[in-house]
Amino acid sequence: MNLHRVAVVAGKEWREIARDRVFLALAFALPVMWILVFGYTMTFDVQNVPFVVLDFDHSARSRDFAYRFISSRYFDFRGYLTNEHEADRLLAAAKVRLVITIPQHFERDIASGHTAQIATLIDGTFPSRAQTIQAYADSISRNYSVGVRTERVAGELGVPYERALVLMQPVHLEIRYLYNQALRSIWSVAPSLVMLTLMFVPSLLTALVVVREKENGSIYNIYSSTVTRGEFLLGKMIPSVAISYVDALVLTAIAVYYFGAPFKADLGFYLVGALLYVVCTASIGLLVSTVVRSQNAALMIASIVGIVPAIQFSGMINPIATLEGSAWVQAHLFPAMYFENIVLGSFLKGVSGRYLWINALILGGYTAVLIWVSYYVFRKRQKR
Amino acid sequence: MAYCFIGAVYISGTGVTQDLRNASVLVHDGDVSAESRNLIYLFRQPYFNRIGTFSGQHEGLTRLDDGASMLLLDIPEDFSQTLRRGARPVAVQMLVDTSNVTMGYLASAYGQRIVDTYAQNLAQQAARRAGLDLRTLPSVENATRVWYNPNLNGHWFNAIGEWLTMMTVLAVLLPATALVRERERGTVEQLLVAPLSSMQIMVSKALAMTLVNVAGTALSVYAVMLPLGVPFAGSPWLFFATTALYVFSIAGLGLAIGAFARSSAEVGMLVILIAVPMTALSGTWTAPEAMPGWTRWGLQISPLYHFIECAYGILLRGAGPGVLWQSILMLSLLGAVAFALAWLQLRRKLS
Repeated sequence: MNLHRVAVVAGKEWREIARDRVFLALAFALPVMWILVFGYTMTFDVQNVPFVVLDFDHSARSRDFAYRFISSRYFDFRGYLTNEHEADRLLAAAKVRLVITIPQHFERDIASGHTAQIATLIDGTFPSRAQTIQAYADSISRNYSVGVRTERVAGELGVPYERALVLMQPVHLEIRYLYNQALRSIWSVAPSLVMLTLMFVPSLLTALVVVREKENGSIYNIYSSTVTRGEFLLGKMIPSVAISYVDALVLTAIAVYYFGAPFKADLGFYLVGALLYVVCTASIGLLVSTVVRSQNAALMIASIVGIVPAIQFSGMINPIATLEGSAWVQAHLFPAMYFENIVLGSFLKGVSGRYLWINALILGGYTAVLIWVSYYVFRKRQKR
Repeated sequence: MAYCFIGAVYISGTGVTQDLRNASVLVHDGDVSAESRNLIYLFRQPYFNRIGTFSGQHEGLTRLDDGASMLLLDIPEDFSQTLRRGARPVAVQMLVDTSNVTMGYLASAYGQRIVDTYAQNLAQQAARRAGLDLRTLPSVENATRVWYNPNLNGHWFNAIGEWLTMMTVLAVLLPATALVRERERGTVEQLLVAPLSSMQIMVSKALAMTLVNVAGTALSVYAVMLPLGVPFAGSPWLFFATTALYVFSIAGLGLAIGAFARSSAEVGMLVILIAVPMTALSGTWTAPEAMPGWTRWGLQISPLYHFIECAYGILLRGAGPGVLWQSILMLSLLGAVAFALAWLQLRRKLS
């Protein structure tokens, strides 16, 4: 390998990228736009859920119960309704996501020591949001139930409310949230978006480098020159990797300074991990570029094939610890998961190389295999 | 193409969902009594998966740090003793990895429910011992019904969302590359001398791409979504008509990009620059009300936002034209704007 020749190929590649000003600008603007747009729109916070109450009881009790929902910061009260059809219409038009029905005799049932049935109707279009809404609503009505029971027990036994509460709720669960104490979804989403963006920007950049020359026909210059396959591929990759690494630094800065995600771990290890990951995803694009024959196909494959596994199996949607079977296997097949581990470890968990080195090692190995395959597939003469 | 409409939709429709399943729990039973064991056994599948024990806080935290477990359940030493005395409530501690917010919250909510149910059973025994008639104790029960996706099947949601995303990317990308390729090859001059107006060129290109996308949609729907159990509540005619309208109107966007860009590489970048925010700002993956306020105007100019009303409306809710006319009107309007843009750009470039 002749480093001078590598530098010459890289220089030529850089001039080609830099000549197309729009492309060059986009190579930097695209990732930034991507993280900003998704940072704002991909929120998993379930708050301000619009809801209405169908109160058929009109009692002090029913208003008290409804108030538990109205005063919650998770719900956004849109008014009392009088008939069910109105509720159905609002739900169908996605104006509200939750309808709470308080039946007639709600107050009377509670006063006479019966079970009062309330009904919640949830829009299931967004299943995970619906689950969270269901959990909120259940928790509010359970607390209310314990409250009315405790009141009654306190009255019957003639003891203070607190004493009766020990009787009615002898065990409770004390929950401590680790890593993202305030449950602010942007703290988790922003670092994951760094992973997602870097999954695909480097591969998009490199996806075109070889195939462009194939389409132009300028690849024949390479075939007939003294530059070796390895030198050519390496030189081709360097400018894209450099651009992508700058992107990586910018994205990380946006996640930390703009979205306020906490960065808790060793910066040095993170930077090494990011470099490995960028080289790895760039070599995915390089492989695509050596295999296909048209720029269109390269773009399609690089932009579409990489993204689905990155979203699905990186641990971004579902922690790896909850996956099983084929999903678990697929997660381990793609590089996204390993960098997601490094990203979440460095940002939220505050753990460094001691726990994460294995991820960096696998990324490195992955890259080596990809480059080797590209090298093997790329021949200095056209296949017939 | 086939991969996009069948493969990707299938992978999403059968892949992971944001349900809480098998959340891994490590348990520290400091008490080792019948009571503590009873409680621990309640943390079981489908929601929880006990993967082992930990002996002390430090070991447990290490296991959370390296991602081996998502939850720690810690039962205090005096658990059964305090319960029996009944002088004060006893706390069971749960530590939750919330680096994934939704999962973290759901795990804690389900854990809470388990402990509440356990506590309620104990409370009933205690009430009986205190000489209270259980039948006279009031309670409030919550009966939940879920509409449109009664089992909260995340696979449906993923499959529909993936189809929408794929179709949007392709519907913009294909006309754009078709146009720019003519320029790259130089065949655009042939079109120029042909007796065709630039509008005719554009409409014919958009029509061809619309056909391809509608055919792909039919594949997605009939080969993947329906076998996965996604309901088709509304009229197929209305569904494919609105799909065609949507694809045709964003093909105008693609043509505008194709007229503006100079190379395939630029097209790729521009398509992602435009199609991705369009998908993000649409309510495909996130409910509109969860987004910050300024995104509302972005939603209104995102054609996908209006098409989603139709797609979810027809597929899941069985909505008809009476409910959807506003969305259909907006789609046509945005399509007209896109075509006007493309037309201006193309005329400028060609002259």
